[in-house]
Amino acid sequence: MRAGSLRYGPAILVGRLTRFAARLRKPGGGSAVPGLVVNRIAPKYLKRTLSGFPQGLVVVSGSAGKSTTTKMLVAILREHGVDVFTNPSTANISQGLTSALLEQADWRGRVPGDVAVLEMDEGHGALVMQGVDARVVALTNVMVDQIDRFHDSEMVAGMLARIAARAGEAVVVNGDDAYLERLAAKLGPDVAVHRFGVSQAVLDSAPRGLGYTETSARRLAPGDGLVIDAVDGREAVLNDRGVPVRAGLPARGIHYAVDAAAAYATARAVLGERFSPESAAHALSAIPAVFGRGERITVRGQEVEFVLIQNPASYQLNVDSIEPGTSDILFAIGSDVRDPSYFWPADAASLERVKIVSGSKAAEAALMLAYDGVAIDRVEPELGIALDDFLAAPAPARGVKTIVFSADSMRRTRAHLGLTGTE
Amino acid sequence: MTFTIVSLLPTLQNTNGDAQNAAVLAQRARWAGLEAEVVAVDDRSTLPDRVDAVVLGSGSDASLETSRSAMLGLHDELRRWGTEGVPILAVGTGWELLSWGIETAGGRSIEGLGILPGRAVPRDGRVTGDLIVKSPLLGVFVGFENHARDYVGAEGSPLGRVRAGAGNGRESGQEGVVMGAVFGTHLHGPVLAKNPGFADHLLGIMADRAGLGYVPGGRSEEVDGYAMAARTAQLRAAGVEASIG
Repeated sequence: MRAGSLRYGPAILVGRLTRFAARLRKPGGGSAVPGLVVNRIAPKYLKRTLSGFPQGLVVVSGSAGKSTTTKMLVAILREHGVDVFTNPSTANISQGLTSALLEQADWRGRVPGDVAVLEMDEGHGALVMQGVDARVVALTNVMVDQIDRFHDSEMVAGMLARIAARAGEAVVVNGDDAYLERLAAKLGPDVAVHRFGVSQAVLDSAPRGLGYTETSARRLAPGDGLVIDAVDGREAVLNDRGVPVRAGLPARGIHYAVDAAAAYATARAVLGERFSPESAAHALSAIPAVFGRGERITVRGQEVEFVLIQNPASYQLNVDSIEPGTSDILFAIGSDVRDPSYFWPADAASLERVKIVSGSKAAEAALMLAYDGVAIDRVEPELGIALDDFLAAPAPARGVKTIVFSADSMRRTRAHLGLTGTE
Repeated sequence: MTFTIVSLLPTLQNTNGDAQNAAVLAQRARWAGLEAEVVAVDDRSTLPDRVDAVVLGSGSDASLETSRSAMLGLHDELRRWGTEGVPILAVGTGWELLSWGIETAGGRSIEGLGILPGRAVPRDGRVTGDLIVKSPLLGVFVGFENHARDYVGAEGSPLGRVRAGAGNGRESGQEGVVMGAVFGTHLHGPVLAKNPGFADHLLGIMADRAGLGYVPGGRSEEVDGYAMAARTAQLRAAGVEASIG
């Protein structure tokens, strides 16, 4: 089955040529440019194509966890034999989306797939979704994120409400997020609301809570939605209408269990009668470890753990997950974090000592760590030098060499170490 | 003696990590060999007996009324601290709530607590970015601003002159307001860590009031080196000559 139509032939051709030219100039790069060109010469292409999938469009948005949730949802749907079109997480704004569609499109612009599952940037999503009809919209949470763009949680919730308003069939929300619960309460009577959330026991086991701007006062009862009964290492127990479903997670951490619950509940909303808990659990358990978040790899002959920090909540959770006493830590914040103020409420004291602080925001990062009482051996803004020296140093006295980085520093680290494969 | 630094309404008023300024004061006091603790105060019942400094951060517009009611419960104390010279650092909407009042773009009018002169009025669109301020007394302030309102009526006693950014706006060329040891500013986030001279000024006042001496500790010097590097980078990004920093 295909979405698209003949009228876009010329625009698609231009987009393809642009992509070809962009790749000649910069191998592997220039991915948003073809989308920019097609959006300019055929402004309705994106809307029509997104609205044209035979089994509809599913949108995943929210402050944190949308990449992982999208990936899990796609895996569950494919396990059920559904042909899914999806976007790479780096292409979640308009030009990137169009470019991602072009990657799969034939010469007329038609994109194969029964259903489209898109990760949508919460800022751009409201705009991209104008005039686009979704079947199901899944919302992960509301957190303060990237304050250069999102001034406060009210604003984020408002943008998510506009995305949710495009759902024709169902909206799936995190029942532990008070902002999303309020959003769900305002939806029309024709739209079903499905919920997921953690049990009180799981919440009690999170030393600093779930990290949402406002956590709901009460937990979901099993009749209200999908409840995470337990999280044990890399396994979660989901309570699906009284039936326990065990699913493997791509890494330790309650937030991964919440992402899995979001994907599970959304897949159920999309598939209806066709949904199989066994297939869903199997698909979730088969997802490989997520790159850059607690992933362990071997590089230059030694074991290294990567920890990605994206927002205050993931920063706190991921810092907490680093084995106390780990002796060799490299901490890098890059230009993607323009104003690190919003990381300050998190507490990194458990790191105790950091070998090297690096990245273009090294001084800001060192300042923050120092006030958390963390000892800093060296500040080296040049990430390449920092990485070379960090990896050349003798084996750590305790734990594995651990690199904590922001998204920009992660990309630079990958490039510097010649690592392939991206999220 | 232990310095008690009150972090006022940290649940409602901590959008950008402003409340962490209380921790910065406590940490610098400890580095100077003094004892210090931060006490989170959400209402009268959690108010400590001794208060050496108060930090009040910024919140969201949706919580203005809630924060105001909570602060009204501490109105007498806030007035007394202001009069007695207890250092108070108020950021963003926390500062606005201490003013005469707030007018929102939506036409709402919220009466302030009247601790600081002036009022917050809607500006044409939100401003976010670097804010660099030169104060005759305290040198150059480096930080970030993120606000949807201007501030009028601070002309008599601003924190300083704006070198980059918007500050109080309305073409005043000024930022912040100061009354005694009560400071209101748009500089959000860890302003005291980024501007250690300001932190030491507040700690000096606290020490004087307690009959103690304050000399920054050795660790402060090391950490202020990071602050200097961060300031230099931001001054460059803001297009301000680093030499003024």
